[in-house]
Amino acid sequence: MRNLLNFLLKYNYWLLFIILEVFSLVLLFRFNSYQGSAFFTSANYVSGILYEGVSEITSYFGLHTLNRDLVQRNVKLELEVERLSQALKEYTKDTTVISQMRRDVLQDYKVFSARVVNNSLNRTDNYITINRGSSDGVLPEMGVIGGNGVVGIVYHTSSHFAVVLPVLNSKSSISCKIHRTDYFGLLRWDGGDSQYAWVKDVPRHSEFTLGDTVVTSGHSSVFPEGIPVGVVDDMSDSHDGLSYLLKVRLFTDFARLNDVCVISSKGQKEQAGLEDSISIK
Amino acid sequence: MIQFLHRLLWFVILLLVQVLILNHLHIDGYGTPVLFIYYIFMLNAETPRISVMLQAFCLGLCVDIFSNTPGMNASACTLLAFVRRGLLASQVDRDINEDYEPGIRIMGFWPFSRYIFIGSILYVLVWQTIDTFSFFRIGELVFKILASTATTMLCILCVDTIRRKK
Repeated sequence: MRNLLNFLLKYNYWLLFIILEVFSLVLLFRFNSYQGSAFFTSANYVSGILYEGVSEITSYFGLHTLNRDLVQRNVKLELEVERLSQALKEYTKDTTVISQMRRDVLQDYKVFSARVVNNSLNRTDNYITINRGSSDGVLPEMGVIGGNGVVGIVYHTSSHFAVVLPVLNSKSSISCKIHRTDYFGLLRWDGGDSQYAWVKDVPRHSEFTLGDTVVTSGHSSVFPEGIPVGVVDDMSDSHDGLSYLLKVRLFTDFARLNDVCVISSKGQKEQAGLEDSISIK
Repeated sequence: MIQFLHRLLWFVILLLVQVLILNHLHIDGYGTPVLFIYYIFMLNAETPRISVMLQAFCLGLCVDIFSNTPGMNASACTLLAFVRRGLLASQVDRDINEDYEPGIRIMGFWPFSRYIFIGSILYVLVWQTIDTFSFFRIGELVFKILASTATTMLCILCVDTIRRKK
């Protein structure tokens, strides 16, 4: 016993080394679980405040291009709405339907605007920190979209900040479909270029061409249907040869991400609860 | 007391520079300089091993908290702090218990560069391997490690030169 104690005293730094390493590895692997606390993430109070201050300054730098993008998109959408409402008017001969539909769209979803305060691009698992948290009503599993398309899903929240799991994370998996033909697959990213992601598990018999738009499918209740994701850039066979693997050029430019929206759908909890109850059995 | 405040100041400054500026730098998409490990390199040579390890662990954990990688930098930092004494002894002829701060002026340019080089390549190796967590894309990984080590060394040598001139 005394020998053991002497040994431990003499090599106490070995002991400390092992303890510290084990502690860090536990932290590293615990972070994968959803229940992990937000304390060891950039959503904690001090780092959140610091990042917010810096982003307050740096958000001015890209305003010019951001503004131009928004105006262009606005014009495009306005023209589209105009054309669609014209068509609808001819079809139904009734103008009250349109205003009714507009109200319905916003009834099912709540939208919170938020600003990106921290962002990373070229690790295998990237995360985004935004300046809205549980006290603003933002909860894990809500969808996050940018001006041009899908950004990711809320992962951890503290009271004033939230960490978002963006498309550019190997753990992210978003259900999406080809806009024209409605065949769906899963959007994944496995490192590399931040402008491209992959749609997996697209069935062999599906029809699509290069250049088709990919949008969210609305199956998962995280995102509403039809939020733009990207354009099919290239296609190949999956490793097992049973499905197609589509290379998608993402609409969202993650390197210039600044203002985003968090969407929460009203039926999300109910649908998730129902699906969980099935998978337990 | 002055010594302690001095250390604390370095700790905070290196941490802030790392998380606010350097973490967002990706030279050619690969090399990210990790300047904050300079803190571990420059600790006084006679600092007890346990103290070096604890300080390194705290520093790594702070960087982790800011970059959402809990445990990643902390484990690499602890390893670096663990091998620091042996590394230092292998590059300097002095008595290991002597009181000095490792740096270009005291150790000479080449011994200090070798010390920094071995230390930072070890650090980057562990950090990038944990981050990628596979050897699937070995070429890219090696390139990332080399680029990060090179930029890290460059930064540390610059900071050390400027610091000694004062």
